[in-house]
Amino acid sequence: MVTRGPVLSLSVAAAAVVALGAAALDALWLRGAGGTTLAESVLMGFAVHAASALAVLAPVWIGVRWVLARSGQRLSAAAEKGDGGPVRWPAWLGPVSGLVDRANAAWARRAEESSLRLKEADIRQKVIDAERDHLEGVLHSLRDAVLVTDGFNEITVANEPAARLFGFEADGALHKPVDDVIFDDRLRTLIKEVRSSGVPNKQRHVEHALAPGGSARAGGQVAFDVTLASLPDSRNGVGGVVTILRDVTREKEISQMKSDFVSQASHELRTPLSSINAYVEMLLDGEARDEASKREFYQIIKSETERVSRMIDNMLNISRIEAGIVQAERTEVDFVKVCKDVIETMQPQARAKNIMLLFKAGPLVYTAQADRDMMHQVVMNLVSNGIKYTPDGGRVTVTVDNDDAARAVLVSVSDTGLGIPPDALGRIFEKFYRIESYKRVAKGTGLGLNLVRHIVETVHQGRIGVTSELGMGSRFWFSIPYESEGSR
Amino acid sequence: MTAQPNRIKVLVADDEAHIVQVVSLKLSNAGFDVQMAGDGEEAFELACQSLPALIITDLQMPYVSGLELGVKLRQNPATAGIPLIMLTARGYALAQSDLDRTNIKAVLSKPFSPRQILQRVQVLLGLAGEGEHDGHEEARAA
Repeated sequence: MVTRGPVLSLSVAAAAVVALGAAALDALWLRGAGGTTLAESVLMGFAVHAASALAVLAPVWIGVRWVLARSGQRLSAAAEKGDGGPVRWPAWLGPVSGLVDRANAAWARRAEESSLRLKEADIRQKVIDAERDHLEGVLHSLRDAVLVTDGFNEITVANEPAARLFGFEADGALHKPVDDVIFDDRLRTLIKEVRSSGVPNKQRHVEHALAPGGSARAGGQVAFDVTLASLPDSRNGVGGVVTILRDVTREKEISQMKSDFVSQASHELRTPLSSINAYVEMLLDGEARDEASKREFYQIIKSETERVSRMIDNMLNISRIEAGIVQAERTEVDFVKVCKDVIETMQPQARAKNIMLLFKAGPLVYTAQADRDMMHQVVMNLVSNGIKYTPDGGRVTVTVDNDDAARAVLVSVSDTGLGIPPDALGRIFEKFYRIESYKRVAKGTGLGLNLVRHIVETVHQGRIGVTSELGMGSRFWFSIPYESEGSR
Repeated sequence: MTAQPNRIKVLVADDEAHIVQVVSLKLSNAGFDVQMAGDGEEAFELACQSLPALIITDLQMPYVSGLELGVKLRQNPATAGIPLIMLTARGYALAQSDLDRTNIKAVLSKPFSPRQILQRVQVLLGLAGEGEHDGHEEARAA
């Protein structure tokens, strides 16, 4: 935009100076001519030259003003259009317009580059924000407690499990000194040791027991596997420490369970093996001094061998079911037939103890999708237990019914036997669990009921349970859904 | 088993009837007067009544374990000096502290050999030296 004021003032001032100069020269040259004084000559000359100068400079001023105004408009239009293209200049302004066009194009390029950079920066910021949110999400979804401290031993990151473990607010703990937030001396010392080690990217593993909720609310101690890693700073020193605490209570329990299982299994297997070994040695040494003794020893060896075999079969079956590699061959199983077959098989054993083995079922059809052999094994096991733990002259009753509400066949085996002590009821289906006082009543592997539970619950998605009154007898029952949820 | 005069009394305790039976037969064939118990409680009562020269007991038994039996025997002045042979299926050695508070003189792990048990009994009772046993000596009280 061209301003009018300065140009006009300049033109008028220039005209005045030119006119005054010309008038002075005229007066000096024409001094005294025509009877006029010098002052009059100057005044008259100034008037004439001023008029002449104005006559010449005024059109020049108007022309310059017009050109400048037009150029300003074009520049404004080009700038507003923003296409960076060349402005149409009058030909006579060629040298100047070329410079302006180049400057304009350079400006447009830079403006475009800046705009692109701005967009890139914006995108990068969004990516960084998304990645940060993602990492925070990952951090907070971890079950492990994660705590990051900086070079000043202040907390920079803490996830929810860490907040719960140490009993602080995750957001409120940021930038607070570790010593103000963590009350466990050992852990504070560990973090300081790793930070002051001066070795970046170094990991340290420690097992340490902590009381969740902070020392102020210390409850039971929980075992943690603690990993401490030193973070590098810009000068390749230690800039901070990442502390990860993993609760290893369950792992320890499983390890203990495995250890107990191996120990228990070896004990259970060694006992019959011990008998077999001893009786074979007695026979070899001629310690059985008559035929009846020899026969008795052979019989013991046979029964103990069968016991070992049963135990191994049960352990393998349980192990296969637990590993999920047992394939049930499901067919429409008639539970009345299964139970009658078992009763027929077990009748000699029941008769030997003068026990009545009864069967009860209504006139309906009692069928479900199941593995027939496994169902036979389950009923057989329950009936066998019933006979074993029922004194002479007692009664064992097998009942088949439909549980329409649960859409399942319900089988129960009741006896008039010893019953189960209340404290043993909850453990009766555990591996190797045997009621101490009943060990001499009957032999067992301690695995039968565990296997039965696995077959019913794990393989057939059924239910199993027991009710009992000490001295009055027990009732074991299981139910198998009419229709399977798919074979395993 | 009927007690006979002058025969050395040995008590065998195990909840596995076959084990008690075979050990008892081996020892009685060798001339010992053998008493049998099916658990730790019964074994302690029998030991207090008959004061055997030696007790062979299983570690894992109902009511009172072999170790608890050893501790109870040690605490009772009348039975404190009776040596014990511990049978264990566990496959681990007993802790020294357990040995210190009982009078366990030998630990045999299952499966055991009746010959080996008899030899141990004879050695502990001073009837034979280590490795000198032929398995059929008559055991009589001195």
